[in-house]
Amino acid sequence: MNRSLIIVLGALALGVAVFAGSYFVSQRACVMSMTNPADDLSWLRDEFHLNAAEMALIRQLHEGYMPQCAEMCVRIAAKKQELAKALDNGTNVTADAQKKLTELGELRAQCQTQMLRHFIAVSQAMPPEQGRRYLAQMQSLTLGFHEEIEKSMFPTAGHEHHQH
Amino acid sequence: MNKENVNSDPGCAEANDARLIMLLRESRIAPALPPRFQEGVWRRIEDAAAPSKSIGSVAWLDTLAALMLRPRLAFATVAVLALMGVLLGTYQGTQVARHDAQARYLAVVAPNPLR
Repeated sequence: MNRSLIIVLGALALGVAVFAGSYFVSQRACVMSMTNPADDLSWLRDEFHLNAAEMALIRQLHEGYMPQCAEMCVRIAAKKQELAKALDNGTNVTADAQKKLTELGELRAQCQTQMLRHFIAVSQAMPPEQGRRYLAQMQSLTLGFHEEIEKSMFPTAGHEHHQH
Repeated sequence: MNKENVNSDPGCAEANDARLIMLLRESRIAPALPPRFQEGVWRRIEDAAAPSKSIGSVAWLDTLAALMLRPRLAFATVAVLALMGVLLGTYQGTQVARHDAQARYLAVVAPNPLR
């Protein structure tokens, strides 16, 4: 019995090792062969089956958008610093802090508008069906984050605002 | 002197030995065999000669071990497991690579503070 048990357990261990080994090796090989860290747009080409001409146009749009995006990032970061300074001294939300919050919100809204415009431009450079799919995916991925937060604030989600 | 005489006569010594053997045989008490003794002996011999019988759960373990030791079956099982691992790994790798590429694109066009 002991011999049989050892054979069965050994065979099971060997089977698990063979399966796990081949799984991890092939997974790593696949990730390494498919990943192209040098090209940020490789996902667009693969996911939306774009040809060279479409990719060239999208690359042009992307390169035009990147400086605008970077500029907005700088402005938002600066505004956040201003807000942090305004909130630094005191326990109340001062008029200055409130103003900075509003300005930060406006900047974020401008940035999101600019981002959506870019997504629309990119979607128009794609075949119609792929463009619609890209736009829907981008909206869900970039604006969906806020939707999740807002949904969690509804009473049905278990979070209620009690009136005191 | 007598001893030498006995040893020196081989015919007499043989006769003495035969008598001695007869006496020993007669003096041995043969106990009565238990009932169905012979049958019991044969059963024991058959049991000893037959492959050891396993009981209950041990039987299938022995069968399984015997199956696993068959080279053709063992190689086939290893090949199937390796193939399954490669297929699943490739599928998962594709998903991971796709997700990573998407995350990289999003991080460029919509950095976290802007979302």
